[in-house]
Amino acid sequence: MNIYIYGIIDFNEEMAEAITGLGGANIYNIPYRDIGALASDLDAPVRNTDEDRVLEHEMALEKIMKNFTILPMRFLTVFDKKDNVISMLNEHYSDFREDLDRLRDKVEFGIKTIWPGAIIRERIENAYRKAQDNLSSSTESPGKSFMKEKFGKYKIDKEFEEEADKCIAIIDDFLNRFVAEKRLEKLKTDNLLLDAAYLVDKEKQGDFKKAFEELKTSPGDLKYLFSGPWPPYNFVTKTNTRHDHE
Amino acid sequence: MSKIVQADAMDAFIEETEKLQKALPNKIDANPQNVEKGLAKLVLTLIELIRKLMEKQAMRRVEAGSLSEEEIERIGETLMKLENKMKELKGIFELKDEDLNLNLGPLGDLM
Repeated sequence: MNIYIYGIIDFNEEMAEAITGLGGANIYNIPYRDIGALASDLDAPVRNTDEDRVLEHEMALEKIMKNFTILPMRFLTVFDKKDNVISMLNEHYSDFREDLDRLRDKVEFGIKTIWPGAIIRERIENAYRKAQDNLSSSTESPGKSFMKEKFGKYKIDKEFEEEADKCIAIIDDFLNRFVAEKRLEKLKTDNLLLDAAYLVDKEKQGDFKKAFEELKTSPGDLKYLFSGPWPPYNFVTKTNTRHDHE
Repeated sequence: MSKIVQADAMDAFIEETEKLQKALPNKIDANPQNVEKGLAKLVLTLIELIRKLMEKQAMRRVEAGSLSEEEIERIGETLMKLENKMKELKGIFELKDEDLNLNLGPLGDLM
């Protein structure tokens, strides 16, 4: 019988509310000092492509986060016996303690933004080529021609990124007031301008949502995907807590 | 606490997410039949990473004006030969540009 772990909570007693996890199994608390690991027993191995199990994992976390600050564990964190869960808690206790204090009563929101990347890149390219056309071109050696072509691409990429930075700064300015921490990723693809995770105090989530609504009404050809509140997946200190997984 | 997932154009977000999934590196499928190709992919990916870093550094130096005409010529020729050699090796091992991708975390993708 393996033990599946959902996350670490700031609580070391039995769970008052019955919450089910993977395969409908009951979730219980494995206490260690003043914290606990939320677990359920696992009869059969779980494959990492099993979508239903992913949803069960996420739904269990959502129920838990209503009443607790939780450090969510990665999907498929499995231990072969309780002693190993306790060892893991012992080994990472100070990290967990620190994260639980830092993330207390906070939730995560995700904001993805798409901009018309192809149109913007084309505009920058055209302006660059036009400027180059006006320069006198003498016969160049292959090495210099190669460098000229690469340099053009480099300058276009750089200007594209600078435009992205400006646009992200405007978006972030709307939301930043209500945020405890943030993780912003720029241009994962040419069109995906921003993939952001914002950590927000539970009390301030109304203000955060309102700020997002204001942002949406501001001019610009941007599309947004807003999601949350989530457990603070992107703000937990990464520790290698995996003991075994199927 | 109610969960919200709202999007102006969900299809556009799905499309971009699919592009990202394609960009993620595949596992090296090392079996007796393709071990040579698997290793070539790994080695060429690392060479490509170093080549791109060299190229970027050269562009920064051109931009800063710290290279003489002769140096630009010499570096240009070196980078061009390196790029051509990489094309040749990719052809030999039947690898495409996207096969040599690496997710460099906050720095984005290599390719």
